[in-house]
Amino acid sequence: MNDLPIHKIQISGTTLASILHRLFSSSGDIHGLLLGHVSFSTTISLSDDNYSTADSASSSSPAADGPTLTATITDFLSIPCHFPLPLQHNNPSSVLLGWFSGRQKTPLRPSLKDSTTTLSLCSSASYHFTPQNSLHPLSLPPSLFLLLSSPFHEQLIHTHEYKAFQYRNSTDSFDPKSLDIINIGPSFRSHYDSFSPISPFPSMTCDLRGPNAMAEDEKAETLVGIKRGLKDQKELDLCAEGFEIGRLNKLMGSDASNYTAELEHLYDKMLVKLDSLARLVEKSSSKVLEQENHNMKLRYKVAGLE
Amino acid sequence: MAIDIVPPLIAAQLNYLVTHCPFSVKVENMWSGGKNTALLDRFSLVIPFCLDYIKWDVIYNALYPLAAPDVIFGAEDEKFRPYKAIGDASDSKSLKNPLTDWNNRDPTRLFSLVLQLRELYKAYQKKRVEEVDDDRLKFEISTMLSREGIEMSLSSNIDKPEEVKFAVPLLDLDLNKMVAGSTWRHQQKIYLQVIYPVGRKYSSAPSAPRLKLVSSPELRAVFSIDDFRLPSWLDGMCMAEYLPNLEDMLESQIKDAVSSIESRRKLIMALAPLFGRPVEADPVFCRKATFLSSSGVFTFMVHVAIPLQFPKQQPSLILQSSQHFNSQGLPIKSPVTTEYPWSPRWETSDMAERIFDFIVDECLNFKKYCNESFVQNR
Repeated sequence: MNDLPIHKIQISGTTLASILHRLFSSSGDIHGLLLGHVSFSTTISLSDDNYSTADSASSSSPAADGPTLTATITDFLSIPCHFPLPLQHNNPSSVLLGWFSGRQKTPLRPSLKDSTTTLSLCSSASYHFTPQNSLHPLSLPPSLFLLLSSPFHEQLIHTHEYKAFQYRNSTDSFDPKSLDIINIGPSFRSHYDSFSPISPFPSMTCDLRGPNAMAEDEKAETLVGIKRGLKDQKELDLCAEGFEIGRLNKLMGSDASNYTAELEHLYDKMLVKLDSLARLVEKSSSKVLEQENHNMKLRYKVAGLE
Repeated sequence: MAIDIVPPLIAAQLNYLVTHCPFSVKVENMWSGGKNTALLDRFSLVIPFCLDYIKWDVIYNALYPLAAPDVIFGAEDEKFRPYKAIGDASDSKSLKNPLTDWNNRDPTRLFSLVLQLRELYKAYQKKRVEEVDDDRLKFEISTMLSREGIEMSLSSNIDKPEEVKFAVPLLDLDLNKMVAGSTWRHQQKIYLQVIYPVGRKYSSAPSAPRLKLVSSPELRAVFSIDDFRLPSWLDGMCMAEYLPNLEDMLESQIKDAVSSIESRRKLIMALAPLFGRPVEADPVFCRKATFLSSSGVFTFMVHVAIPLQFPKQQPSLILQSSQHFNSQGLPIKSPVTTEYPWSPRWETSDMAERIFDFIVDECLNFKKYCNESFVQNR
């Protein structure tokens, strides 16, 4: 049984805003993957109000007769829609929940491409995942689909339209689902009960030279590989300039107060580095923009518009 | 905002579709998906299906001119998954999703996509109708299926009871060939629209279906289905019994209508020696002709409109002055006249002479009428 209905879809306000921003700021249509986790929760929302409990018991809502399945979207990947979906994501802390499609000025209905993509995602067993706190061995397909669109007419107030669906294989239908937007604040405290501040260290591809160089040697690297590693290391060292561990040690302990000047010096250097980094980003962004414009011209040429 | 333009690659495909499609496709509106560009890359296609229309939105991406388009189907067709079964079907070669190896430079692509999708949609609706649990319907489908080209659809509105609609093409005649010299681009056909209410399990005798004759609009120039009276539906009847009788009646009436073209042509030819060669005449259906005529220095035109029921009904005449204009600068016309001596039993040459005689008298009245209104306008 891998076609369980998902009762709740949660998404943090920032994640949704970020997806919407991607669509709004992109010149064309985009699509991408939705990452997160699905968990069972057996907690029954107790209420002082007797009527409401009576209501939920009498109604045949699935929440009443079993644990609820909640999907939480924590992350996403997005690319322009003429590229295929990047299905190899390497984020071990989250699973592929589904995907989203953002189209400019279109009706909010799954299109031909949307349904074929969802179907093929759901039918491929390699994308199936096991939900957290699952009592039985269970594998679920990445059946979520989020559809976003911009309004047909330009309006003074920007509005974004979106609709979330779960594709159900048994009925071959896209069931509309509501999106719970989770924000930070007192009224959302309960959502953070199970929050654990564990974040995976980003996987870096560069080699760390050091004590375990022996282990590296065993891999019998090619000369090119070693050279590249050295170059990466040099770049890393450049970034860490002035922050040698030995120096940082001085800031610890009883006589740390004597090193205020040292600390300020470090701080200044950090600011300078940040500043230069910001400039670098600015420069590269303008290069990216330049390249984008160039690409656009080429695409126009292809389309015969020049 | 810059002038809206359709990117050439999209325009080529759209043009090919509209000019080559065997049914008439309409492009309802076009809009741009980009924010900064005014390139029109999305549009709605209105496609005839089962004597109704379905509206599909085609979404291209002007920014990525070589990317395949996407299609959004109507709101009531959410479960239409054209290429779902292809993955595991054995005949996957014959029905390949054309979007997977799209080539935007090929102008025929959109055309073949729409054609294929419409076929798949037809099959999808047929499957839906066949799944309806209604004994009478199942029987009707099994007896009607030998006919080619039947389209059917299941309407499932929440606020209306379920109905099954059939579009049954009638008469295996090539109407385009029957009318000599017709310039119809699409095949002309007459259909019987049959609407069955889906029976509730415990209802008593099945009610009669709603019947309506529908023809392609251009056919009206030759044959008006509004003049045709459908034979009545008897209790306990089925389509297989009803259709042959209907077709026989229809066929004879259409043959009459086609031969009526000839008699109209003869009338126009008989008018020519009296009035002179027509300035303008409808050479295919012979429904109208215009002659230039004069009485003394007064020159005027005679518009002759010949009805479908000619010679039972007489032609209607309008006179139009070529010398008098009203305050809007338009030539003055007489009201439509059919009040002149007429008998369907006369020879065609008699009819022409009677019309001529009538015009000879009438043009004097018309001249007076023109002069009066002309003076008023001064």
